[in-house]
Amino acid sequence: MSGTHSSLPAPIARVWEPLRERSRSKRALLLMAPLLVFELLLFVAPFLILLRISLTSGSQDLRYAAGTWSLEGYAEVLSSGVLQDAILYSFKLGLIATGITVSIAVFYAYAIWRAEGAIKSALLFSVILPLLTTLVVKTYAFRPLLSPTGTVNDLLLSLNLVSEPIQFVPGTIGVIVGQVYIVLPYAVLAIYSVLSTMDWGIVEAARDLGASRPRSVLEIVVPQAMPGIIVATVISFAWSVGAYAAPGLLASQRVPFAIEVEKRLLSNLQWEIATAYAVIMLLLMAASIGVLTVTLNRFGGEFEYA
Amino acid sequence: MHRETVENVAFRAGYLAILTFMLLPLAVVVATSFEASGQLLFPPENYSLVHYRTFFEETTWLSAFDNSLLVGTGTTVVATTLGVTAAFGHELDDGRTGQLLAPLVLVPLLIPPIILGISMRVYFVRAGLNASFLSIILAHTLWATPLVYFVMRSVFSRFDWQLLDAAKDLGAGPIQSFAYAVLPNVKHGIFVGALLAFIVSLQEFVMALFLSSHSTETIPVVAWTALRQSLDPMVSVVSTFLILISIVAIVAATVATNLEWLSKQLS
Repeated sequence: MSGTHSSLPAPIARVWEPLRERSRSKRALLLMAPLLVFELLLFVAPFLILLRISLTSGSQDLRYAAGTWSLEGYAEVLSSGVLQDAILYSFKLGLIATGITVSIAVFYAYAIWRAEGAIKSALLFSVILPLLTTLVVKTYAFRPLLSPTGTVNDLLLSLNLVSEPIQFVPGTIGVIVGQVYIVLPYAVLAIYSVLSTMDWGIVEAARDLGASRPRSVLEIVVPQAMPGIIVATVISFAWSVGAYAAPGLLASQRVPFAIEVEKRLLSNLQWEIATAYAVIMLLLMAASIGVLTVTLNRFGGEFEYA
Repeated sequence: MHRETVENVAFRAGYLAILTFMLLPLAVVVATSFEASGQLLFPPENYSLVHYRTFFEETTWLSAFDNSLLVGTGTTVVATTLGVTAAFGHELDDGRTGQLLAPLVLVPLLIPPIILGISMRVYFVRAGLNASFLSIILAHTLWATPLVYFVMRSVFSRFDWQLLDAAKDLGAGPIQSFAYAVLPNVKHGIFVGALLAFIVSLQEFVMALFLSSHSTETIPVVAWTALRQSLDPMVSVVSTFLILISIVAIVAATVATNLEWLSKQLS
C-alpha cells in the first residue's frame, strides 16, 4: 500500500496527507473517501460556483457575464421590494407552519408512544405512508378538498357554520395546510424516536406526586423530548421556508422565495440576481435556524441527554 | 363526567383527527382515480376504470415510469455503495475525518431543494452533463445517501465487532471477513437503506424538475407539469400506483425488520 500514495498526483496528495494523519487507520479513510469525494464534487463545488456567479455582473444577451466581479446581484436583491417581499412571505409561512407542525407532532408522537398493538401500528403506518409518497401527490389532493366548491366547504355550509364558501385554496391557508401535511411525518418521527427511549416511570412518578396529566406531559415529557423537538423544528422550518411544491400548487398571488427565484433563473435569465438571492436566503436561514436551536436548547437544558 | 374520562375522550379524538388528516389526502387521490368524468371530484360521482385504460395507452406516462425506474435504480446503487462503505469506515475509526463527514452529509438535506437544483443545473451545464440521467441520479444520491448512511451507522453500532476480529484471527482477508462475518448480520439494514434510497429518488421532484429534459422526465415531474395545467384524474391514477409502491415497500421493510425500528430510522 505504501507505493500508492507516492504515485498520487500532487494536488490530491496535498489533500490526502493531512486527512491521513488525522485518521487512526488508512483503511477506514479509504472507505470514507468515496463519500467525501462525492460530497465535495456534488455539493461543495456546485455551491462555490453558485457563489462565484452571484458575484458577476449582469449581461444583456447571456445568463451572466463570466469572469467579471461585481456586487450588482446583491444590490438588486437589497433594493427590490418584490424580492424582499417574497423572502418575508417565506419566513412567515415557515414560522406558522413550523409552530403548527411541531405542536401537532408532539401530541401525535406522544399518542404513538402510549398506544399499543394494532392502534400503535395504525398510527405509525399513517405517518410512514405519507412520508414515502411524493410531494406532488400529497399536495394536489388538497385542491378538491379545500377549494370554494370543495368537500370541506360543502361540510361547513351544510352544518351552517359559514354562510358563504371560504377560499382556502388558492390562498395562504391552503399553502400552510399543505406544508404542515408535508413536514408533519418527519417531525412526528423525530420526536417519537426520542420518546421511545424514555422511561415511562418518570411520568408515572410525577402523577403519583399529584401532577395532572396535561401538566405531567408539559413538565416531564416535553423537556425530555427536547432533542427530538429541536430536530423536528429545524427540519420543519428549513423545509417550509424553502417550500416549492405547496406554494406552487396552492398559492394565489403572493409567492414565496422558491417560486420567485425560479422565475428569475428560468424566465428572466438573470443568473447573477437569482444566485445572489439564493445566497442571501441561505444566510438568513442559517441565522434563524441557529437562533431557534439556541432558544429551544434553553428549555431542554436540564434534561440534556448524554 | 369524571375529569379523567373527559381527558381520555379528548385525547382519543385528538389522535384520531390527526390520523384522518394524515390519510385523507391519500384517500382522495385513490378515490379520484376512479372518477368517470374528466374532472377531479371528491367523492367521485360515477366510478369507472376508464383512466386506468388510458394510462396504459399513453406513452408519456409509461416512458416516465421507465425513467423513474432507471433513475431510482441508479440512485439506489450509488447511494447504498457510498453510504454503506462510509458508515463502515466511520465505525472502524471515528477520528476527525468521521466527525467532518457526518455534518457534511447532513447539510444538503436542510438546504431548500430549489437552491440545490439551481446550483447543480449551473454545475452540470458546465460539466456537459446537462439533462442526462446521470445528473438526476447524482442529485438524488445527494439526498438518498444521508438516509443510507445514518441507517447503516445505527446498524453497525449494534454489530458485534469481535466477530470481525475472530474472522481475521481465523485467517480471512478484509473482503472475505466482510462478506462472511459482517454482511450476514447487517443485510437487513442494507436492504432497508437501499429501499429508502429508491423511494427518495422515486418521489423527489424539485431537483429532477431542474435537471431533466423532455426525454428524461420522471413521474413526479410529468405529474407536476400536468397539474400546473389542469386537474386531471390521470394524475390520480399515476399517484395511486406510486402509493401502492410505497405500501409494498413498507410491507417489505417491515418483513425485513419491524415497523417500529423502521420509524426510528426514518427520522
